[in-house]
Amino acid sequence: MERRILIVDDEDLVRNYVRRALLSRGWAVSETTNGAAAIALIEKEEFSAVICDLKMPDIRGEEVIKKIRARRPAAKIIVITGSVSNLSRPIVPGVEVDGFLIKPFGIDEIRDLVEKVLKG
Amino acid sequence: MTNKARILVVDDDEQVSDLIRTALSTKDYETSVAFTGEQGVKKAGAEKFDLVIMDIQMPGMDGITALGEIKKTDPEVEVIIVTGHGTMGTAIQSMRRGAFDYLHKPFQIAELLTVVERALEKKKFNDITKAIFSTIRSEELLRIIIDSVTRILKADESMLVLIDKAGRPGITVSYGLEGRAQEESRLEICTRMLRQLSDTGGGAVALVDEPLKDKRFSDIAGAGEIKFAMMLPLMEESRLTGLININRRRSGEYFTENDMQRAKIFGSLVNLALRNANLYQQLQETQSQLIQAEKMSALGQLAGGLAHEINNPLSGILGLTQLVLENTTRATQNYQDLKDIEKAVFRCKKIITSLLSFARQEKSSLEPVSVNEVLDETLTLCARQMELKRIKIVREFGDGLPMVNADFQQLMQVFLNLLNNAGDAMPDGGTVAITTRLAAAAGESVEITISDTGVGIPGEILTRIFDPFYTTKPPGKGTGLGLSVCLGIMNKHNGAITARSEPGKGSAFTMTLPV
Repeated sequence: MERRILIVDDEDLVRNYVRRALLSRGWAVSETTNGAAAIALIEKEEFSAVICDLKMPDIRGEEVIKKIRARRPAAKIIVITGSVSNLSRPIVPGVEVDGFLIKPFGIDEIRDLVEKVLKG
Repeated sequence: MTNKARILVVDDDEQVSDLIRTALSTKDYETSVAFTGEQGVKKAGAEKFDLVIMDIQMPGMDGITALGEIKKTDPEVEVIIVTGHGTMGTAIQSMRRGAFDYLHKPFQIAELLTVVERALEKKKFNDITKAIFSTIRSEELLRIIIDSVTRILKADESMLVLIDKAGRPGITVSYGLEGRAQEESRLEICTRMLRQLSDTGGGAVALVDEPLKDKRFSDIAGAGEIKFAMMLPLMEESRLTGLININRRRSGEYFTENDMQRAKIFGSLVNLALRNANLYQQLQETQSQLIQAEKMSALGQLAGGLAHEINNPLSGILGLTQLVLENTTRATQNYQDLKDIEKAVFRCKKIITSLLSFARQEKSSLEPVSVNEVLDETLTLCARQMELKRIKIVREFGDGLPMVNADFQQLMQVFLNLLNNAGDAMPDGGTVAITTRLAAAAGESVEITISDTGVGIPGEILTRIFDPFYTTKPPGKGTGLGLSVCLGIMNKHNGAITARSEPGKGSAFTMTLPV
């Protein structure tokens, strides 16, 4: 099956480089700029992994992640966020995520993490 | 409050007012005159007087009405009523309206002066009492009290001697002392008196006649200048805190019982002033702590929001830079430039991370930890680095120290920060001493001292080192948050951190954590 990855982030700069970093490794990439579009998209399509920002203008990333978990339990979830105040607490309360990166992160960090979660 | 009292005489009879003014001028009082009640009220409203001497019978506004009007504009001024055909009725009426006393014409000059003196004394007490409850600086206030006690007791010199924290007596304020020699001689007399008072546990007023003939003081240079001395002990909760020494030199008479009573009132005023000054200082300290806490919390909120806003574009810069780097030939200028951009982003990331750790508001997880263990753990992280910088680490850990309730990680953060700073302070190597011991002061606590033999911190900087964003390190080297984070962590632990330093010799940071 084709490995397709969804990037959900309202920040163009971030989506831009993450997409290109993953494309160059041969993964297929879709992207949305907000939570509502992401939820609509996963209704129609299946993704191997979703890379999701937490702070977005419409729906909170946490809600998006819960919906994805419920609708697509097999999809791996990676959280990317600009602010984590306490690393010992779960990133998204009530939901186990497969990985997370704190911004700013480099292209190899996201590539390696995607590879790792897809393997596991 | 000037030393010279200002007196307003209100009388329509110019002869009487002249007589009164002449009598008052012999005592160096400053006088002014008004010839009608209206004029008197106007003058008292426009200028500041300590005392008004007022005739009752005047054309136009009478003295009783004028008294009421004057008290309305200046409730603190004292008024003495003078009446030609005094009946008990006008006297009572004037007293009810707030007069201090009344005089019947004809009166003796001596009688007038005595009443004036008493009225001014009362005014002085009122002024001082008022000053005690105002925000007047305590030193100024004490000076006013000592000046007043000297003049009211017709003494030549007075001083307030207080025992400092180290137990040494010192002259806080004085009146009538000239030169160091006199100060030293009086301080020696007072010091011996204090020693005697504390030995006998006495708190009573002591009188010394001719100290030169008194075995206790006769060997002190300058003791012969004093004829009569009054020693008024100052007590706080049965603890001797100092004394007031009031001296009459060559001229003058014995101190009377009345003098002693009046001195005692001044003594209690001094006590009140000191206690007030103390409370005021505590208030100011609490206030500055509150401001500091407020600053921290505002900064914390700001930092949290800021970090998120900055991290997004920063992430873009990092990712895009690395993407371009992948397609750039090494050993080109472009490649090197991009690498520099990448490095700059990592530096920003580091700053934001420390900002966030500073901003963190969550509860720390307190558990019993061994301070020595935390220090050992911290040293495993940084000992190697310090060795490379030719820094010798000396551990003087106390044995069998009790556990403290603390967050292990946060304590490590504090120690690591201090050790890093110590390293930075010794670019050419040196020694870091880490001492732990049990401190009994203010309840049991564990005291940790980290000292270095580095460049030290000048005094003007030392007061600011715990301020957020204050840094003396070159741009890019420090965020100015390290020590404010340390302070924040120690505060959260109900502990404390203080710094001592001697430029050129080194610095020492001492922390206490309650057991």
